[in-house]
Amino acid sequence: MGTPVGQAVDGHGARQHRRAPTGPPGRGRRASALGLRRRRALLPWVLLAPALAVIAALLLFPLARIVWLSFREYRLRNLVSGESEFIGLANYVSLFTDSYLWRIALPNTVVFAAVAVVATVVLGTLVALLLSRLRPVTRVVVVSCVMVAWAMPAVSGTYVWLWIFDVDDGIVAQALMRLGVIGPEGYNWFADRLFFYAIVTLNVVHGGFPFVAVTVLAGLLTVPRELHEAALIDGAGAWKRFWHVTFPVLRPVFAVVTILSTIWDFKVFAQVYLMPGGGVGGSEMLNLGVWTYVSSFGQRDYGTGSAIAVVLTLLLLGVTAIYLRALFREDELR
Amino acid sequence: MSAPVDTDWEHRVRRARRHGDALRLTRLLGRAAGVTAILLFTLFPVYFMIASAFSGRMTSGIGTLVPRDPTLDNFVHVLTEGDFGLYMRNSLAVAGITVVGACLLSLLAAVAVARFRFRLRTSVLVMILIVQMVPLEALVIPLFLQVRDLRLLNTVLGLGIAYIALSLPLAVWMMRGFVAAVPKEVEEAAYIDGASWPVMFWRVLFPLVAPGLVATAIFSFIIAWNEFVLALTFMQQSDKYTVAVGLRRFFGEYANEWGHVMAASTLITLPVMVFFVLVQRWLAAGLVQGAVKG
Repeated sequence: MGTPVGQAVDGHGARQHRRAPTGPPGRGRRASALGLRRRRALLPWVLLAPALAVIAALLLFPLARIVWLSFREYRLRNLVSGESEFIGLANYVSLFTDSYLWRIALPNTVVFAAVAVVATVVLGTLVALLLSRLRPVTRVVVVSCVMVAWAMPAVSGTYVWLWIFDVDDGIVAQALMRLGVIGPEGYNWFADRLFFYAIVTLNVVHGGFPFVAVTVLAGLLTVPRELHEAALIDGAGAWKRFWHVTFPVLRPVFAVVTILSTIWDFKVFAQVYLMPGGGVGGSEMLNLGVWTYVSSFGQRDYGTGSAIAVVLTLLLLGVTAIYLRALFREDELR
Repeated sequence: MSAPVDTDWEHRVRRARRHGDALRLTRLLGRAAGVTAILLFTLFPVYFMIASAFSGRMTSGIGTLVPRDPTLDNFVHVLTEGDFGLYMRNSLAVAGITVVGACLLSLLAAVAVARFRFRLRTSVLVMILIVQMVPLEALVIPLFLQVRDLRLLNTVLGLGIAYIALSLPLAVWMMRGFVAAVPKEVEEAAYIDGASWPVMFWRVLFPLVAPGLVATAIFSFIIAWNEFVLALTFMQQSDKYTVAVGLRRFFGEYANEWGHVMAASTLITLPVMVFFVLVQRWLAAGLVQGAVKG
């Protein structure tokens, strides 16, 4: 584990104490050694206080409140009156007995995330392997171009893909019409769940693979050349060299990249919501995140929306737990 | 080469060399093809966006691939009739609040976790790490109620404060690396010269971590500029829209006038791209560092 905290070894920072007497004279006269020590112990908390207060008020408290809301009947009238009533697990019961969850929302979230993560990591790794084989100047140029895809905001990126795949005038539709693959009446692929999510995947992979590529590339450049040369002399092919030499060395990097991508892809919102049919209640295109939003702010059923949000959060916390466990196991190995 | 006769091994060496040359050529071609494919995939959407933004009234996607007579009409329409200038000002104001708040709070917090060893330090760091995994779609309902109760809906301040919270976790992790990189001896020298902690912080530590602050500022700017869910929920009056939400107005309203949508998209994307190129080195490092190192 990286411990950047100087050489302070004991629990409360021996160095700071030693340094204390060299502080300003006025303060030294007033405070006893004990008072100074206490103040030293307090200082980090004083520094942390504003950040922790903001995180507590705007991230932790809402998190608790969403759990609270998920046990309540909370609709538009409750929003106006501010009062709500406890209904136990009713929101969860209706959620888990809703076939929409099992048929539409959950598959749309989990299957999509799985496909998108695999595609992102594989493409990113391939790009990184290619980049590592380029001359430095070429590499810098290509990396900068790849960065452009990463920098594309989700909102504008989504609209560009919508334009590319526009049903009537889009470049893909017109090209396919000219090739005679589809008739002049066109084909509304946004109404087809598979095509819909194929376009979402394309959008998400386009925005997500640069992070993987850049991170894996940084890792690749640290793999000692001798390892590869030894494997080459032993007659290992390209795939064997990657699988038996590069991959084990870079396992922590791959772990991080995969799990961060998983977390991001579970939370995809604008890329679905902005698509035609992606933000409409009852449409078969919603994933859990969009469903939460549509139930609460579209159908004004904040209780159900909160229950969906809790399920999504628990899913993500599960992924995070796996992630932390994987990381700590790596640390023990090292 | 003085050998009069081609001995067998010389012949073999020459053949091997020729074979090697051919192999190298295929590899070179393979790499060139790979690079071309990557560049096409990454740059095409961006190119297509900009090309569409600059072309006049368009009826077909293929027609805009190579814009014939570039025009600024789309931008003019979007900025005047489309009110996009207003949205950009709103976004800038929100981003300004976010940048100032996130930089200040993350710097203080980073000094605490990088320079002091105290009980619960690791717990605080892990908590900050876990908190950023929480999906925004889950937080949007309670945040909406909270901001409404504070009567901050449709205000730049309400959205800005929420974005400070969003950008803080990663900002703290990024700043932590920068603060930890400043040698402790520099601080100690300041103390020996009689500086108090605040003086040392302001005069010594602050200038040394300034590059980190710039990176954090750009990072939080990008978060505030791109964010969509909260802006969509908090900003319900059209004169308060941020760019991400305002962009939606061009979609559908004029029967998908793609030139306008793409011009507005270009206006959103360009500042982010400029900043991104500036900050990319720290961003990738910060994300991984936050994740890899406990």
